Amino acid sequence: MYHESIIELNGISVRKAKGLLLGGISLNVSRNEFVGIIGPNGAGKTTLLNVIAGLERFEGTLGLFGRRESWRRSRDTRVRIGYVPQLFQIDPAFPILASEAVMTGAIGRLGLFRSPGRQEKEDAMRLMDMMRLTHLAERPLGLLSGGERQKVSLARAILQQPDILLMDEPTANLDIAVQKEVLNLIDEIHKQEALTFLFVTHDFNMLPSAMRRAVLLDHGKKVFDGDINTALSGDRLSRLFRYPLETFERNGRRFVSYG
Amino acid sequence: MAEHLLEALTYPPIQRAAIACVLCGASCSLLSVFVVLMKMPLIGVSMSHAAFAGAVLGLLFDFNPFLSGFILCLLVAGVLGPLSDRTDMSPENMLGIMFSFLMGLAFLGMGILTRTKAGALNLMWGSLLSLSGSDIWILTIITSLLVLFVFLFFKEIRSVMFNRRLAAASGVPERMIYYALLFLTGAVVSSNLATVGGLLIFALLVQPGATALQLTYNLEHFFLISAASGIGACVSGLVVSYIFDLPSGASVVLMATTIFAVAYTFSPKRRSAILKGRNKFYENDAR
Repeated sequence: MYHESIIELNGISVRKAKGLLLGGISLNVSRNEFVGIIGPNGAGKTTLLNVIAGLERFEGTLGLFGRRESWRRSRDTRVRIGYVPQLFQIDPAFPILASEAVMTGAIGRLGLFRSPGRQEKEDAMRLMDMMRLTHLAERPLGLLSGGERQKVSLARAILQQPDILLMDEPTANLDIAVQKEVLNLIDEIHKQEALTFLFVTHDFNMLPSAMRRAVLLDHGKKVFDGDINTALSGDRLSRLFRYPLETFERNGRRFVSYG
Repeated sequence: MAEHLLEALTYPPIQRAAIACVLCGASCSLLSVFVVLMKMPLIGVSMSHAAFAGAVLGLLFDFNPFLSGFILCLLVAGVLGPLSDRTDMSPENMLGIMFSFLMGLAFLGMGILTRTKAGALNLMWGSLLSLSGSDIWILTIITSLLVLFVFLFFKEIRSVMFNRRLAAASGVPERMIYYALLFLTGAVVSSNLATVGGLLIFALLVQPGATALQLTYNLEHFFLISAASGIGACVSGLVVSYIFDLPSGASVVLMATTIFAVAYTFSPKRRSAILKGRNKFYENDAR
């Protein structure tokens, strides 16, 4: 296993009309790490992912794969970073099938004037099989359930063959059983593919088991960075979320009781 | 009656009107796929008013109205493009302001225009029967550019339509596609001032795409159905206007609305969605 940093943030700030969204974040992530980004609403979690994904202008220095990058960057760098967004609305009548939506993950990697070939189609089928989506491949995306659409998003991001996978609350607004299913798939992907994961969430009890490290954000600042079980302490979380929270342990894992 | 129509087709102005009808239907309806699927009808309105205002100003200063319309479209695109990249303000208000400003500009131009106002009025609702050869050439070139754009970048277009941010993050040249689209919108809208005019063109920028939305989940078919319904509306509108001696632009728009209404009524998508919803309801009930 490598321990080389593939994401290096140094004093990253994002300023918008409504104020400072990120105020000088520094963070190093090594290859194959699985890092949780946790914090209340408005802590800057999504902004942090957007900076890494190249969707947001920022101040400070950002290193990716050992090279300094700005928000404008080459296609090669973008292709190496996958993004799984929060469940988003789609018009049920929108003309795209589930398999076509998965295939959009390969478009940037293929580049202009090259159509998906047999390899891409096989990869897409394999991923849809892994996500248990094969029977839905020819269904219009807009007619799928939220959980099914999130699995399509996951398959789409992996078809891109990224080195880093950014996930922005991928299980938000899903039923508990579906959340668990998506989390298990994420763990499975972590086992199978040599990927570095950043996982944004504010739900402490729905964490992928592969997540060993947590970064806590508050008002655009990093307030903790370390082992997930240390992060999940009642005092720390109560301060962070301004609400009394208690934690308990079960099967070697910490959980949070909302009281 | 058919003989009558065929005989009419031997006159060059009628021939030009027929060709322009097909080109206008094709260009507007291909564009309408983007307008409908990328939810940018307000951008369509603003651009068509920019073309209209630009052309009126062109008339005022003895400048080619197509070019001045196109230039104003590009200026508006230059403002709208970066605006849509910003996440911290809603573009709708800005579009509303832009739209009314352009309308004001156009009417100001018409007020100052001392010569006959017929030219300006033609820009509003088109004048299919007084098209020149160069009008046809401009339309042909712009329609071909649009067709080429859709063919060459089909997979990028699908990906950008699906989700612009995801496309950008995954290395698809989303900005290139988006700006090319704004550029083509300006070109299509300003070249069609002469055919359907700046006010009625909006119907052709929405209705063909909205018609296709009722009928298919396949994006290739979507473009084809949209084109067919746009060309159908233009040609049948022209025929109706010729036979009953009605204004051509109005006939075209009303035909487009009729086609949409038929598609909506018989939409297999809408029906299956309704049925599906009902099934889901029963499934949940059973649990």
